[in-house]
Amino acid sequence: MRGWLWLLLVLALGGLFWWGMQRNPKELPSVLAKERRPAPEFTLPLLPPYRAEWGETFRLADHLGKRPIVLNFWASWCYPACYEEAPILEASWRRHREEVLFVGVNTQDKEEEALKFIAQFGLTFPQVHDPRGRVGVDYGMYGVPETFFIDREGRVLARHAGAIDEAVLARYLEEALR
Amino acid sequence: MRWVVLLLAFLLPALAQEAPPPDLSPEVFRIARELRCPVCQGESAAESNSGVAVEMRRIIAEMLREGKTEEEIKAFFVERYGDWILYAPPRRGVTLWVWVLPVLGLLLLGLGLFAYFRPKPLPKELLEEAERRLKEPPR
Repeated sequence: MRGWLWLLLVLALGGLFWWGMQRNPKELPSVLAKERRPAPEFTLPLLPPYRAEWGETFRLADHLGKRPIVLNFWASWCYPACYEEAPILEASWRRHREEVLFVGVNTQDKEEEALKFIAQFGLTFPQVHDPRGRVGVDYGMYGVPETFFIDREGRVLARHAGAIDEAVLARYLEEALR
Repeated sequence: MRWVVLLLAFLLPALAQEAPPPDLSPEVFRIARELRCPVCQGESAAESNSGVAVEMRRIIAEMLREGKTEEEIKAFFVERYGDWILYAPPRRGVTLWVWVLPVLGLLLLGLGLFAYFRPKPLPKELLEEAERRLKEPPR
C-alpha cells in the first residue's frame, strides 16, 4: 500500500515536471487576443511621408469596424527582426490594400532613424510615431516587433510576437478576412 | 575629522546607488518593483532601463499625480498584461496554490518528523523481562 503511494507521488511529480518542460517559455499570453477585446483606441501623429494621404494625425477609431486591420509595432533599432519582416509586410499590404488596412506604429524611436528605415524598405502603408511607446502598453506589448490582427468588428483576433513570416501572415489574414 | 571624511567617502557611493533618479518619486519605484518588466528576464519595472519599463514608470508617476491608488495602478497593468505582470501571484484561483503549498508541505514535513521521532512505547516482553530481572535476587 505504502509503496504504491510513493510510486503515485513520484509519477505525479514526474508528470508535472514533464508538463512544465513541454511549455514554451517564449509563448506570451495576450489578454486582448485571448478575450477578443475591442482594439484599444489611439490617436497619434503620422510620420511626414504619409501626411499628404492620411492627414496630420491618425485616429484608429476612424478605421475600426470597417475592414480588418494589421497593426505592426516596430522600431529602427530592432535589428534584425524588424528588418526581416518589413519587406514581407510591405508586399502583403500591396497585395491586400483593398481589403485590409496595414498600420505601422513606430515605437520608442527617433523620427530621423524611423524615416531612414521607411526609405530603406519603401514602406507605403501609413506609419504613426509613438516615441514614448504609450500605445504599446495599452496593447500589452512585450517588445518590438509585434503584430496585432484586428477583425472586421474591431476586435483583437491575434497577436504575433517577433518577426512575422509570409506563411504566418497569410494564415492570420485569411482568418481576419473570413 | 579625518574619520568623518573617510566614512563619507565610503558611504556616499552606496547612498548614491540606493537613491532613485531624481525625476520620479520613490513611491513610483515602490509600485514599479511589484510589476514585471515585460521585455526582461526576472527584472522588475523599477530596475530595468528598457524603453517599456521607463514608460511604465512614467505611467505610474502620471497616475499617482492624478490621485490614483496603488491598487488602481496595478489593475491598469493587469487589465493589459494579465496577472503575469504581477510579481506576487494573486491569492485566488489556481495561483492560490503557490501560497498554500509551502505551508502544506511544511505541515506534512512536521507531521512526518513527529511520527519518526516520537518516543515509542517499549514492547511488553522487554518490560516483563526487566521486571523479572529486578525481582531476581542479586548474585
